[in-house]
Amino acid sequence: MDDPYWFGQIAAANALSDIYAMGGTPKTALNLVAFPARTMDMSILRQIIQGGIDKLRDAGVVLIGGHSIEDKEIKYGLSVTGFIHPERVLAKNSLRPGDRLVLTKPLGTGIVNTAIKAAMVSEQLSEKVTLLMATLNREAARIMADFNISACTDVTGFGLLGHLAEMISGSDCSARIVSGNVPVIPEAEEFAAMGLIPAGAYKNREFREHMITFAETVPRTIQDLLFDPQTSGGLLISVSNVHCADLVSALKAGGIADAAQIGDIIDSREERIRIV
Amino acid sequence: MKEIDARGLACPLPVLQTKVALQEESYKTLKVIIDNAASQQNVQRFLESRGFQTALEHVGSDYAVIGSCDSMTLEQSRPVPKPFSDARKIMVMCATDRIGFGDDVLGIKLMVNFLRTLKEMGDELWRLVFVNNGVKLTTDGSEVLEDLKVYESEGLKILVCGTCLDHFNILEKKQVGETTNMLDIVTAMQLADKVINI
Repeated sequence: MDDPYWFGQIAAANALSDIYAMGGTPKTALNLVAFPARTMDMSILRQIIQGGIDKLRDAGVVLIGGHSIEDKEIKYGLSVTGFIHPERVLAKNSLRPGDRLVLTKPLGTGIVNTAIKAAMVSEQLSEKVTLLMATLNREAARIMADFNISACTDVTGFGLLGHLAEMISGSDCSARIVSGNVPVIPEAEEFAAMGLIPAGAYKNREFREHMITFAETVPRTIQDLLFDPQTSGGLLISVSNVHCADLVSALKAGGIADAAQIGDIIDSREERIRIV
Repeated sequence: MKEIDARGLACPLPVLQTKVALQEESYKTLKVIIDNAASQQNVQRFLESRGFQTALEHVGSDYAVIGSCDSMTLEQSRPVPKPFSDARKIMVMCATDRIGFGDDVLGIKLMVNFLRTLKEMGDELWRLVFVNNGVKLTTDGSEVLEDLKVYESEGLKILVCGTCLDHFNILEKKQVGETTNMLDIVTAMQLADKVINI
Protein backbone atom coordinates (compact mmCIF):
# COMPACT_ATOMS: atom_id res chain seq x y z
CA MET A 1 0.00 0.00 0.00
CA ASP A 2 1.76 3.14 -1.22
CA ASP A 3 -0.92 5.75 -0.53
CA PRO A 4 -0.52 6.96 3.06
CA TYR A 5 -4.15 8.07 3.45
CA TRP A 6 -5.51 4.65 2.42
CA PHE A 7 -2.83 2.92 4.47
CA GLY A 8 -4.28 4.73 7.50
CA GLN A 9 -7.85 3.76 6.62
CA ILE A 10 -6.97 0.09 6.14
CA ALA A 11 -4.97 -0.06 9.38
CA ALA A 12 -7.94 1.35 11.29
CA ALA A 13 -10.45 -1.03 9.62
CA ASN A 14 -8.14 -3.91 10.51
CA ALA A 15 -7.83 -2.79 14.15
CA LEU A 16 -11.60 -2.38 14.59
CA SER A 17 -12.32 -5.80 13.13
CA ASP A 18 -11.58 -7.78 16.31
CA ILE A 19 -14.29 -5.96 18.21
CA TYR A 20 -16.84 -6.59 15.45
CA ALA A 21 -15.90 -10.28 15.34
CA MET A 22 -16.69 -10.56 19.06
CA GLY A 23 -20.12 -9.02 18.50
CA GLY A 24 -19.13 -5.77 20.23
CA THR A 25 -19.36 -2.06 19.46
CA PRO A 26 -16.03 -0.18 19.29
CA LYS A 27 -16.03 3.11 21.21
CA THR A 28 -12.53 4.52 21.68
CA ALA A 29 -9.14 4.14 20.04
CA LEU A 30 -5.49 5.02 20.70
CA ASN A 31 -3.01 5.58 17.87
CA LEU A 32 0.27 3.63 17.91
CA VAL A 33 2.78 5.17 15.53
CA ALA A 34 6.38 4.54 14.54
CA PHE A 35 7.78 7.01 12.00
CA PRO A 36 11.24 8.03 10.66
CA ALA A 37 10.59 11.70 11.47
CA ARG A 38 14.14 12.80 10.66
CA THR A 39 14.29 11.37 7.17
CA MET A 40 10.70 11.36 5.93
CA ASP A 41 8.29 14.15 5.13
CA MET A 42 5.93 14.68 8.09
CA SER A 43 3.00 15.26 5.72
CA ILE A 44 3.04 11.50 5.06
CA LEU A 45 2.41 10.85 8.74
CA ARG A 46 -0.37 13.43 8.75
CA GLN A 47 -2.09 11.67 5.85
CA ILE A 48 -1.82 8.27 7.56
CA ILE A 49 -3.34 9.63 10.77
CA GLN A 50 -6.07 11.41 8.75
CA GLY A 51 -6.97 8.10 7.06
CA GLY A 52 -7.21 6.46 10.47
CA ILE A 53 -9.35 9.26 11.90
CA ASP A 54 -11.75 9.21 8.95
CA LYS A 55 -12.23 5.46 9.29
CA LEU A 56 -12.80 5.80 13.04
CA ARG A 57 -15.39 8.49 12.36
CA ASP A 58 -17.17 6.11 9.95
CA ALA A 59 -17.27 3.58 12.75
CA GLY A 60 -18.47 6.09 15.36
CA VAL A 61 -15.26 5.69 17.36
CA VAL A 62 -13.47 8.49 19.23
CA LEU A 63 -9.70 8.86 19.02
CA ILE A 64 -8.63 9.68 22.57
CA GLY A 65 -4.85 9.83 22.24
CA GLY A 66 -1.91 7.70 21.33
CA HIS A 67 1.81 7.13 21.38
CA SER A 68 4.48 7.73 18.79
CA ILE A 69 8.14 6.77 18.49
CA GLU A 70 10.98 7.42 16.08
CA ASP A 71 11.78 4.32 14.04
CA LYS A 72 13.39 3.40 10.72
CA GLU A 73 10.22 1.88 9.29
CA ILE A 74 6.66 3.25 9.26
CA LYS A 75 4.28 1.38 11.52
CA TYR A 76 0.72 2.36 12.30
CA GLY A 77 -1.89 0.53 14.33
CA LEU A 78 -4.55 1.24 16.87
CA SER A 79 -5.58 -0.09 20.23
CA VAL A 80 -9.38 -0.21 20.23
CA THR A 81 -11.80 -0.56 23.14
CA GLY A 82 -15.43 -1.53 22.70
CA PHE A 83 -18.51 -2.48 24.67
CA ILE A 84 -20.48 -5.70 24.72
CA HIS A 85 -22.98 -7.37 27.04
CA PRO A 86 -21.01 -10.07 28.91
CA GLU A 87 -23.57 -12.72 27.99
CA ARG A 88 -23.34 -11.86 24.30
CA VAL A 89 -19.59 -12.15 23.82
CA LEU A 90 -18.90 -14.30 20.75
CA ALA A 91 -15.88 -16.56 21.23
CA LYS A 92 -13.83 -18.09 18.43
CA ASN A 93 -14.15 -21.71 19.41
CA SER A 94 -17.66 -22.07 20.86
CA LEU A 95 -18.64 -23.92 17.69
CA ARG A 96 -21.75 -26.08 17.44
CA PRO A 97 -21.79 -29.28 15.35
CA GLY A 98 -24.18 -28.92 12.41
CA ASP A 99 -23.52 -25.18 12.06
CA ARG A 100 -22.68 -23.69 8.69
CA LEU A 101 -19.70 -21.43 7.99
CA VAL A 102 -20.19 -18.09 6.27
CA LEU A 103 -17.41 -15.81 4.98
CA THR A 104 -18.13 -12.13 4.27
CA LYS A 105 -15.18 -10.94 2.12
CA PRO A 106 -13.36 -12.62 -0.79
CA LEU A 107 -9.84 -14.00 -0.24
CA GLY A 108 -6.72 -12.96 -2.10
CA THR A 109 -5.60 -9.57 -0.74
CA GLY A 110 -2.16 -10.93 0.22
CA ILE A 111 -1.54 -12.34 -3.24
CA VAL A 112 -2.81 -9.19 -4.98
CA ASN A 113 -0.59 -7.02 -2.73
CA THR A 114 2.39 -9.17 -3.72
CA ALA A 115 1.45 -8.68 -7.36
CA ILE A 116 1.17 -4.92 -6.72
CA LYS A 117 4.78 -4.98 -5.45
CA ALA A 118 5.67 -6.72 -8.70
CA ALA A 119 3.88 -3.94 -10.63
CA MET A 120 1.59 -6.44 -12.33
CA VAL A 121 -1.77 -5.14 -11.15
CA SER A 122 -4.06 -2.79 -13.07
CA GLU A 123 -5.06 0.44 -11.40
CA GLN A 124 -8.64 -0.72 -11.44
CA LEU A 125 -7.92 -3.91 -9.51
CA SER A 126 -5.63 -2.07 -7.13
CA GLU A 127 -8.46 0.36 -6.29
CA LYS A 128 -10.96 -2.46 -5.89
CA VAL A 129 -8.73 -4.30 -3.44
CA THR A 130 -7.92 -1.11 -1.51
CA LEU A 131 -11.62 -0.45 -1.00
CA LEU A 132 -12.17 -4.06 0.00
CA MET A 133 -9.48 -3.84 2.70
CA ALA A 134 -10.74 -0.47 3.93
CA THR A 135 -14.32 -1.77 4.27
CA LEU A 136 -15.33 -2.11 7.91
CA ASN A 137 -16.79 -5.37 9.18
CA ARG A 138 -19.35 -3.27 11.05
CA GLU A 139 -22.28 -3.90 8.74
CA ALA A 140 -21.62 -7.66 8.62
CA ALA A 141 -21.44 -7.72 12.43
CA ARG A 142 -24.65 -5.71 12.79
CA ILE A 143 -26.51 -8.08 10.46
CA MET A 144 -25.24 -11.28 12.07
CA ALA A 145 -26.44 -10.10 15.50
CA ASP A 146 -30.02 -10.94 14.44
CA PHE A 147 -29.17 -14.59 13.79
CA ASN A 148 -28.30 -17.63 15.84
CA ILE A 149 -24.49 -17.44 15.79
CA SER A 150 -22.31 -19.79 17.85
CA ALA A 151 -18.84 -18.39 17.08
CA CYS A 152 -17.08 -15.82 14.94
CA THR A 153 -13.59 -14.61 14.08
CA ASP A 154 -12.06 -12.19 11.60
CA VAL A 155 -9.77 -13.46 8.85
CA THR A 156 -6.38 -11.72 8.86
CA GLY A 157 -2.73 -12.78 8.74
CA PHE A 158 -3.12 -16.53 9.25
CA GLY A 159 -5.39 -16.85 6.22
CA LEU A 160 -8.83 -18.48 6.14
CA LEU A 161 -7.55 -21.92 7.13
CA GLY A 162 -5.27 -20.58 9.88
CA HIS A 163 -8.14 -18.74 11.52
CA LEU A 164 -10.51 -21.67 11.01
CA ALA A 165 -7.88 -23.90 12.66
CA GLU A 166 -7.90 -21.53 15.65
CA MET A 167 -11.69 -21.88 15.83
CA ILE A 168 -11.71 -25.67 15.92
CA SER A 169 -8.71 -25.96 18.27
CA GLY A 170 -10.10 -26.47 21.73
CA SER A 171 -13.57 -27.26 20.42
CA ASP A 172 -14.96 -30.78 19.97
CA CYS A 173 -15.51 -30.10 16.30
CA SER A 174 -14.01 -30.48 12.88
CA ALA A 175 -14.78 -28.40 9.82
CA ARG A 176 -15.38 -28.98 6.13
CA ILE A 177 -14.89 -26.39 3.44
CA VAL A 178 -16.36 -26.58 -0.05
CA SER A 179 -13.58 -24.80 -1.92
CA GLY A 180 -15.77 -24.03 -4.93
CA ASN A 181 -18.03 -21.89 -2.73
CA VAL A 182 -15.29 -19.79 -1.13
CA PRO A 183 -15.39 -16.22 -2.49
CA VAL A 184 -12.05 -15.17 -4.01
CA ILE A 185 -10.71 -12.19 -5.95
CA PRO A 186 -10.67 -13.80 -9.43
CA GLU A 187 -7.37 -12.21 -10.53
CA ALA A 188 -5.63 -13.56 -7.41
CA GLU A 189 -5.91 -17.07 -8.80
CA GLU A 190 -3.93 -16.05 -11.90
CA PHE A 191 -1.27 -14.33 -9.80
CA ALA A 192 -0.96 -17.42 -7.61
CA ALA A 193 -0.35 -19.58 -10.69
CA MET A 194 2.50 -17.22 -11.59
CA GLY A 195 4.17 -17.61 -8.19
CA LEU A 196 3.21 -14.18 -6.82
CA ILE A 197 2.48 -15.61 -3.41
CA PRO A 198 3.57 -13.92 -0.17
CA ALA A 199 5.97 -15.87 2.04
CA GLY A 200 3.34 -15.71 4.79
CA ALA A 201 1.06 -18.02 2.79
CA TYR A 202 3.74 -20.72 2.81
CA LYS A 203 4.31 -20.23 6.54
CA ASN A 204 0.57 -20.46 7.22
CA ARG A 205 0.43 -23.73 5.29
CA GLU A 206 3.45 -25.21 7.02
CA PHE A 207 2.09 -24.33 10.46
CA ARG A 208 -1.39 -25.88 9.99
CA GLU A 209 -0.75 -28.58 7.38
CA HIS A 210 -1.06 -31.41 9.91
CA MET A 211 -4.70 -30.49 10.60
CA ILE A 212 -5.78 -30.15 7.00
CA THR A 213 -6.62 -32.54 4.17
CA PHE A 214 -7.40 -31.49 0.62
CA ALA A 215 -9.45 -33.57 -1.81
CA GLU A 216 -7.39 -34.24 -4.94
CA THR A 217 -9.81 -32.11 -6.96
CA VAL A 218 -8.86 -28.86 -5.15
CA PRO A 219 -6.48 -26.92 -7.45
CA ARG A 220 -3.18 -25.78 -5.99
CA THR A 221 -3.99 -22.11 -6.65
CA ILE A 222 -7.18 -22.38 -4.58
CA GLN A 223 -5.19 -24.00 -1.77
CA ASP A 224 -2.85 -21.00 -1.86
CA LEU A 225 -5.79 -18.62 -1.59
CA LEU A 226 -7.10 -20.50 1.43
CA PHE A 227 -3.74 -19.91 3.18
CA ASP A 228 -3.23 -16.38 1.83
CA PRO A 229 -2.65 -13.86 4.66
CA GLN A 230 -5.43 -11.27 4.54
CA THR A 231 -5.28 -7.62 5.46
CA SER A 232 -8.54 -6.56 7.06
CA GLY A 233 -10.32 -9.69 5.81
CA GLY A 234 -13.95 -10.60 6.36
CA LEU A 235 -15.77 -12.26 9.23
CA LEU A 236 -15.88 -16.05 9.44
CA ILE A 237 -19.21 -16.84 11.07
CA SER A 238 -20.54 -20.13 12.44
CA VAL A 239 -24.33 -19.95 12.12
CA SER A 240 -27.06 -22.48 12.84
CA ASN A 241 -28.01 -24.63 9.88
CA VAL A 242 -31.58 -23.30 9.75
CA HIS A 243 -30.49 -19.65 9.78
CA CYS A 244 -27.68 -19.92 7.27
CA ALA A 245 -29.56 -19.15 4.05
CA ASP A 246 -31.34 -16.20 5.68
CA LEU A 247 -28.06 -14.81 7.04
CA VAL A 248 -26.42 -14.97 3.61
CA SER A 249 -29.44 -13.26 1.97
CA ALA A 250 -29.48 -10.57 4.66
CA LEU A 251 -25.74 -9.93 4.21
CA LYS A 252 -26.13 -9.65 0.45
CA ALA A 253 -29.14 -7.33 0.86
CA GLY A 254 -26.99 -5.24 3.23
CA GLY A 255 -24.40 -4.65 0.50
CA ILE A 256 -22.02 -7.45 1.45
CA ALA A 257 -22.14 -8.92 -2.02
CA ASP A 258 -19.43 -11.55 -1.61
CA ALA A 259 -20.92 -13.23 1.48
CA ALA A 260 -21.24 -16.98 0.97
CA GLN A 261 -21.76 -20.24 2.78
CA ILE A 262 -18.42 -22.01 2.52
CA GLY A 263 -18.72 -25.15 4.64
CA ASP A 264 -19.94 -26.67 7.87
CA ILE A 265 -18.98 -27.83 11.34
CA ILE A 266 -19.12 -31.50 12.27
CA ASP A 267 -19.04 -33.36 15.55
CA SER A 268 -15.55 -34.84 15.71
CA ARG A 269 -12.85 -34.54 18.31
CA GLU A 270 -10.13 -34.94 15.73
CA GLU A 271 -9.99 -31.16 15.21
CA ARG A 272 -9.36 -31.45 11.53
CA ILE A 273 -10.28 -29.46 8.44
CA ARG A 274 -11.22 -31.20 5.23
CA ILE A 275 -11.44 -29.28 1.98
CA VAL A 276 -13.41 -30.67 -0.94
CA MET B 1 22.50 -21.19 -19.41
CA LYS B 2 21.40 -17.92 -17.83
CA GLU B 3 22.12 -17.72 -14.12
CA ILE B 4 20.25 -15.39 -11.74
CA ASP B 5 21.42 -14.88 -8.19
CA ALA B 6 18.35 -13.85 -6.21
CA ARG B 7 19.79 -14.55 -2.78
CA GLY B 8 18.94 -11.99 -0.14
CA LEU B 9 15.72 -11.06 -1.94
CA ALA B 10 12.21 -11.60 -0.60
CA CYS B 11 8.99 -12.34 -2.53
CA PRO B 12 8.11 -11.19 -5.13
CA LEU B 13 11.57 -9.94 -6.21
CA PRO B 14 13.06 -13.32 -7.26
CA VAL B 15 10.02 -13.92 -9.51
CA LEU B 16 10.37 -10.41 -10.91
CA GLN B 17 14.07 -10.88 -11.71
CA THR B 18 13.26 -14.12 -13.48
CA LYS B 19 10.47 -12.43 -15.41
CA VAL B 20 12.71 -9.53 -16.45
CA ALA B 21 15.42 -11.95 -17.61
CA LEU B 22 12.90 -13.79 -19.79
CA GLN B 23 11.66 -10.52 -21.25
CA GLU B 24 15.20 -9.54 -22.22
CA GLU B 25 15.89 -12.78 -23.97
CA SER B 26 13.93 -15.99 -24.44
CA TYR B 27 16.37 -18.25 -22.64
CA LYS B 28 15.83 -21.97 -23.11
CA THR B 29 17.45 -22.89 -19.81
CA LEU B 30 18.06 -20.83 -16.75
CA LYS B 31 19.14 -21.28 -13.18
CA VAL B 32 17.83 -19.15 -10.32
CA ILE B 33 19.63 -19.26 -6.97
CA ILE B 34 17.43 -18.45 -3.98
CA ASP B 35 17.91 -18.55 -0.22
CA ASN B 36 14.36 -19.01 1.05
CA ALA B 37 11.77 -21.75 0.53
CA ALA B 38 8.83 -19.46 -0.30
CA SER B 39 10.69 -17.74 -3.17
CA GLN B 40 11.94 -21.10 -4.38
CA GLN B 41 8.37 -22.40 -4.74
CA ASN B 42 7.23 -19.14 -6.30
CA VAL B 43 10.01 -19.12 -8.92
CA GLN B 44 9.30 -22.75 -9.73
CA ARG B 45 5.65 -21.94 -10.27
CA PHE B 46 6.40 -18.89 -12.33
CA LEU B 47 8.65 -20.90 -14.66
CA GLU B 48 6.07 -23.66 -14.93
CA SER B 49 3.37 -21.12 -15.80
CA ARG B 50 5.67 -20.00 -18.65
CA GLY B 51 5.99 -23.53 -20.01
CA PHE B 52 9.29 -24.52 -18.40
CA GLN B 53 10.08 -27.84 -16.84
CA THR B 54 11.79 -27.29 -13.51
CA ALA B 55 14.20 -29.15 -11.29
CA LEU B 56 15.46 -28.27 -7.84
CA GLU B 57 18.99 -28.53 -6.46
CA HIS B 58 20.19 -27.81 -2.96
CA VAL B 59 23.44 -25.86 -2.76
CA GLY B 60 24.39 -25.67 0.90
CA SER B 61 21.49 -23.85 2.54
CA ASP B 62 20.47 -22.27 -0.79
CA TYR B 63 18.22 -23.56 -3.55
CA ALA B 64 18.88 -23.62 -7.26
CA VAL B 65 15.80 -23.81 -9.49
CA ILE B 66 16.70 -24.98 -12.97
CA GLY B 67 14.18 -24.33 -15.72
CA SER B 68 14.34 -25.69 -19.22
CA CYS B 69 12.04 -25.61 -22.18
CA ASP B 70 12.08 -26.25 -25.89
CA SER B 71 10.06 -24.02 -28.19
CA MET B 72 7.48 -26.76 -28.71
CA THR B 73 6.44 -26.95 -25.08
CA LEU B 74 6.59 -23.17 -24.80
CA GLU B 75 3.94 -22.75 -27.50
CA GLN B 76 1.74 -25.45 -26.07
CA SER B 77 1.74 -24.41 -22.46
CA ARG B 78 1.66 -20.62 -22.49
CA PRO B 79 -1.70 -20.44 -20.70
CA VAL B 80 -1.92 -21.44 -17.07
CA PRO B 81 -2.10 -25.25 -17.01
CA LYS B 82 -5.51 -26.66 -16.25
CA PRO B 83 -5.77 -28.20 -12.80
CA PHE B 84 -8.03 -30.98 -14.04
CA SER B 85 -7.48 -33.52 -16.76
CA ASP B 86 -9.67 -33.36 -19.83
CA ALA B 87 -11.50 -36.61 -19.02
CA ARG B 88 -15.13 -36.04 -18.13
CA LYS B 89 -16.20 -36.87 -14.60
CA ILE B 90 -19.21 -39.15 -14.37
CA MET B 91 -20.95 -39.75 -11.09
CA VAL B 92 -23.30 -42.72 -10.75
CA MET B 93 -25.75 -42.67 -7.87
CA CYS B 94 -27.61 -45.85 -6.90
CA ALA B 95 -30.61 -45.26 -4.65
CA THR B 96 -31.77 -48.87 -4.89
CA ASP B 97 -30.37 -52.39 -4.98
CA ARG B 98 -32.44 -53.36 -8.03
CA ILE B 99 -33.19 -51.80 -11.39
CA GLY B 100 -36.75 -50.91 -12.27
CA PHE B 101 -40.11 -52.25 -11.09
CA GLY B 102 -41.94 -55.44 -11.97
CA ASP B 103 -40.00 -58.54 -11.23
CA ASP B 104 -37.60 -58.21 -8.29
CA VAL B 105 -35.52 -61.25 -9.24
CA LEU B 106 -34.93 -59.68 -12.64
CA GLY B 107 -34.33 -56.25 -11.06
CA ILE B 108 -31.59 -57.58 -8.78
CA LYS B 109 -29.97 -59.46 -11.65
CA LEU B 110 -29.99 -56.31 -13.78
CA MET B 111 -28.34 -54.29 -11.02
CA VAL B 112 -25.53 -56.83 -10.67
CA ASN B 113 -25.05 -56.76 -14.40
CA PHE B 114 -25.15 -52.94 -14.45
CA LEU B 115 -22.49 -52.53 -11.78
CA ARG B 116 -20.21 -55.06 -13.49
CA THR B 117 -20.61 -53.36 -16.87
CA LEU B 118 -19.92 -49.88 -15.47
CA LYS B 119 -16.20 -50.49 -15.89
CA GLU B 120 -16.71 -49.91 -19.62
CA MET B 121 -16.92 -46.21 -18.81
CA GLY B 122 -13.18 -46.41 -18.16
CA ASP B 123 -11.47 -43.39 -16.60
CA GLU B 124 -14.56 -41.25 -16.89
CA LEU B 125 -16.25 -43.18 -14.08
CA TRP B 126 -15.35 -40.82 -11.21
CA ARG B 127 -17.67 -41.46 -8.26
CA LEU B 128 -20.04 -44.30 -7.37
CA VAL B 129 -22.50 -43.31 -4.68
CA PHE B 130 -24.89 -45.57 -2.77
CA VAL B 131 -27.90 -44.20 -0.90
CA ASN B 132 -31.13 -45.60 0.56
CA ASN B 133 -31.56 -49.33 -0.29
CA GLY B 134 -28.48 -49.07 -2.54
CA VAL B 135 -26.16 -49.14 0.49
CA LYS B 136 -26.99 -52.84 0.94
CA LEU B 137 -24.88 -53.55 -2.14
CA THR B 138 -21.76 -52.57 -0.16
CA THR B 139 -22.34 -54.94 2.77
CA ASP B 140 -21.57 -58.57 3.62
CA GLY B 141 -23.43 -60.95 1.32
CA SER B 142 -23.75 -58.53 -1.60
CA GLU B 143 -23.31 -60.28 -4.91
CA VAL B 144 -21.23 -57.38 -6.30
CA LEU B 145 -19.03 -56.86 -3.22
CA GLU B 146 -15.93 -58.27 -4.90
CA ASP B 147 -16.55 -56.23 -8.07
CA LEU B 148 -16.86 -53.05 -6.02
CA LYS B 149 -13.63 -53.87 -4.16
CA VAL B 150 -11.86 -54.22 -7.49
CA TYR B 151 -13.20 -50.81 -8.60
CA GLU B 152 -12.01 -49.28 -5.36
CA SER B 153 -8.55 -50.84 -5.64
CA GLU B 154 -8.31 -49.38 -9.12
CA GLY B 155 -8.85 -45.90 -7.70
CA LEU B 156 -12.60 -45.32 -8.09
CA LYS B 157 -14.02 -43.44 -5.13
CA ILE B 158 -17.09 -45.21 -3.73
CA LEU B 159 -19.25 -43.19 -1.34
CA VAL B 160 -21.78 -44.86 0.94
CA CYS B 161 -24.46 -42.85 2.75
CA GLY B 162 -23.91 -43.04 6.53
CA THR B 163 -27.46 -42.01 7.42
CA CYS B 164 -28.78 -44.89 5.28
CA LEU B 165 -26.42 -47.50 6.78
CA ASP B 166 -27.47 -46.29 10.20
CA HIS B 167 -31.15 -46.43 9.31
CA PHE B 168 -30.90 -50.08 8.25
CA ASN B 169 -28.63 -50.74 11.24
CA ILE B 170 -25.85 -52.13 9.00
CA LEU B 171 -23.05 -49.61 9.69
CA GLU B 172 -20.68 -52.41 10.74
CA LYS B 173 -21.55 -54.62 7.81
CA LYS B 174 -20.28 -52.23 5.13
CA GLN B 175 -17.28 -53.81 3.40
CA VAL B 176 -16.37 -51.32 0.69
CA GLY B 177 -16.35 -47.55 0.10
CA GLU B 178 -16.15 -44.48 2.27
CA THR B 179 -19.00 -43.62 4.62
CA THR B 180 -20.25 -40.24 3.50
CA ASN B 181 -22.87 -37.58 4.10
CA MET B 182 -25.18 -35.34 2.11
CA LEU B 183 -22.68 -32.46 1.84
CA ASP B 184 -20.11 -34.72 0.17
CA ILE B 185 -22.75 -36.09 -2.17
CA VAL B 186 -24.01 -32.63 -3.11
CA THR B 187 -20.43 -31.43 -3.63
CA ALA B 188 -19.67 -34.42 -5.84
CA MET B 189 -22.78 -33.62 -7.91
CA GLN B 190 -21.59 -30.07 -8.30
CA LEU B 191 -18.12 -31.11 -9.43
CA ALA B 192 -19.26 -33.89 -11.76
CA ASP B 193 -19.80 -33.30 -15.46
CA LYS B 194 -22.58 -35.85 -15.56
CA VAL B 195 -24.70 -37.49 -12.85
CA ILE B 196 -26.50 -40.74 -13.56
CA ASN B 197 -29.26 -41.78 -11.17
CA ILE B 198 -30.35 -45.39 -10.83
